[in-house]
Amino acid sequence: MNIRKLPFTNLLRKPGRTIALVLLTALLALSVFGGSVVVMSMQRGLKSLESRLGADIIVVPSSAQSKVSFKNMLLQGTTGAFYMSGENLTRTLEVEGVEKAAPQLFLASLKADCCSIKIQVIGIDPETDFIIQPWIEESCRQELGDMDVVVGCDVGVGAGDTLKIYEQYCHVTGKLAPTGTGLDSAVYCNMDTMNKLLKAAEAKGITHDITSEDEGLVSAIYVKVREGYDIGKVNSAIQGHTRKASAVRTKSMITDVSGSLSGISRTVTWLTAAIWILSLVILLIAFAMIVNERKKEFALLRLLGTSRRLLGSVIRIETAVCSLAGGIAGVMIASVFLFPFTKLIESSLGLPYLTPPLPRILLTALATLAGTVIMGSLASAWAAGRLSRVDPGIVLRGN
Amino acid sequence: MLLEASSVEKWYLRGKGFSNRFFAVNSTDLILESGKVTVLTGRSGSGKTTLMNMMAGLLTPDGGKVLLDGKDLYAMDDNTLSRLRNRHFGMIPQGAEILPDLTVMENILLPIGIYRDRYGRSASEAEECARELLEQMEIGDLSDVPAKELSGGERRRVCAARALAGAPEFVFADEPTSDLDDDNTKIILSVLRQATASGCAVMIVTHDPEALGYADIHYRMDGGSLSVLPEDNKPKEEKIHAI
Amino acid sequence: MKKQKYSAVPAAVILILALVAAIGSRTFLGPCVHEDGTFGACHWAGQALFGIALVMAAEGLIAALWKNAAVRAGLYISMLLTAILGILIPGTLISLCGMASMRCRTVMRPSMMILFSLMFVAAGTGALLSREG
Repeated sequence: MNIRKLPFTNLLRKPGRTIALVLLTALLALSVFGGSVVVMSMQRGLKSLESRLGADIIVVPSSAQSKVSFKNMLLQGTTGAFYMSGENLTRTLEVEGVEKAAPQLFLASLKADCCSIKIQVIGIDPETDFIIQPWIEESCRQELGDMDVVVGCDVGVGAGDTLKIYEQYCHVTGKLAPTGTGLDSAVYCNMDTMNKLLKAAEAKGITHDITSEDEGLVSAIYVKVREGYDIGKVNSAIQGHTRKASAVRTKSMITDVSGSLSGISRTVTWLTAAIWILSLVILLIAFAMIVNERKKEFALLRLLGTSRRLLGSVIRIETAVCSLAGGIAGVMIASVFLFPFTKLIESSLGLPYLTPPLPRILLTALATLAGTVIMGSLASAWAAGRLSRVDPGIVLRGN
Repeated sequence: MLLEASSVEKWYLRGKGFSNRFFAVNSTDLILESGKVTVLTGRSGSGKTTLMNMMAGLLTPDGGKVLLDGKDLYAMDDNTLSRLRNRHFGMIPQGAEILPDLTVMENILLPIGIYRDRYGRSASEAEECARELLEQMEIGDLSDVPAKELSGGERRRVCAARALAGAPEFVFADEPTSDLDDDNTKIILSVLRQATASGCAVMIVTHDPEALGYADIHYRMDGGSLSVLPEDNKPKEEKIHAI
Repeated sequence: MKKQKYSAVPAAVILILALVAAIGSRTFLGPCVHEDGTFGACHWAGQALFGIALVMAAEGLIAALWKNAAVRAGLYISMLLTAILGILIPGTLISLCGMASMRCRTVMRPSMMILFSLMFVAAGTGALLSREG
């Protein structure tokens, strides 16, 4: 029997105690790792939403419902079909202080071949667009030609495939980087393609509020305000100048989203902290109880000539092994429930949710493991420290 | 090696105030001679175990010194003292404590495995010796049994083997025969007696009169003070051979 | 011999997991339901998973009750392979909906892959535990 083997022997021959400690530290690691990944993903989602909403003002048709459906479309990927006259684009451009105005045209496909659900098709004008175009350029070099589409990362086709929308064959030229928002499940094309698709939809009996005879139909106009102009004033100027449309400041939308996001992330943080403190307290109590229960065992080791330092390292190794095992288990359990269900979390939160890149996840996992081991070691050191100051003779006599 | 206590004392506070000092051990001198069995008897609470723990380096005295070859045990740092006790002292604690989750053999070899650079008997030599001791104490077939399955008598015998397997210079046995039947008592006492043959000094604290038959020197402890009883101080050779 | 004492435990675990998978594939873990009453590929993937889960459950039950170590080991090996089939069904052998936000891909596929992976691990453990000697 070697004292260096003793910690492992202790762990193996007291499986109940070992499992309880491992479970406790697993809970600690699970809550810390899971909580941080969720909060990080939400923050990353918000950032990506902000960068995708690089406009100051969005003009949408005035019915209240469209504003709601616009937001739902953006965040949850539900399809939206709302239209206003293309005149509004010209009118918007006339407003003083408007630097850029980019129109978008929405169409909800009935059913694409690949999918059993409706897909949102978004038509953009590559010439004037400053919202989607930079994003497309990140992922594919090619210009959007006639009957070309690029797809969001959640659409189950790849570049080179063909997508059939209203019996029209569209050539998929690229797939976009994920945003963690509803934009990931949309398909993007230019206005010419879009008008063809609208006509095809009409031929299939899908009617819209305004006939497609009007070539200048738009669903939303993204506005960039010239520097030095007050966004609020420009916003109300657009509001007054356009017809049957309402201008929304994107900031208010992002504030909305970030408001509910910070609410949820605060809840998650508090919950994580609560679980963390709770398991830390339980851990401390558990170690205090275990050390108390093993008082005689430790005193015996001292009696046989184990120095305080050596006894300390036996206890430390035992705890470190336990908490490392628990930490790994906790991180693994959290991973199994978080990463495969990313999309489910995104859709049930109704908020942009974008999992951090692998190196950051690994770093978080490592930090969690280190934290758990340090916590466990501190807890056991605290408990063992109280004991080792006492002369072993006294402990063994039970006084 | 010579272990001597020079006017050691230990007191505890009862209640409040300096005047309530209760002396467990009054200023006491004691020398443990190698090759001799020293038996310390006395009533419960007379300070026997306290004195022995101080001799064994386990309990810091409130006054006086314990010297091993002239070196003060309690002036050493914890690491040095622990190593010294591990190498030179063998202990049979009062409650016959063993690690319940280890096997009998693992328990016996535990002290030898504590320090990698422990000089003295190697692990294989110690294991050899341990097997002999176990055979001698009639528990040779128990070496791979988990210690928690042992009976009280078996535990005491394992403790004796653990104390002796590392070939220490001093063995301290605290009530090694309490709650044991006559046969077990004889087994343990004769194994301790035998250890003195190789020059080991054995100190036994007990109130079992049986132990006196194995004593070279007999002290009585009364109210924290030691007295020698010369009339008992003659080796009982015939008893050893009787087993 | 001591190991074999516990060799029925993984079978019981598999039985429970397989029942969860079987019931789940028809209810809370099931594929997308189409509004127009038609069935997509994901529906048939769900049907296949239901069948495989039932086979696993039955094998688990038999392995839990059968005392013979060799028979048990054989059943575990069979369950090991069946579990691989269960992992491969959704998305690999039978395609699911194209849209990543659909229920079959957000709920059914990950949960079934986790359940069958756990069964795979359990079957592997069981096979090791029921080795003779």
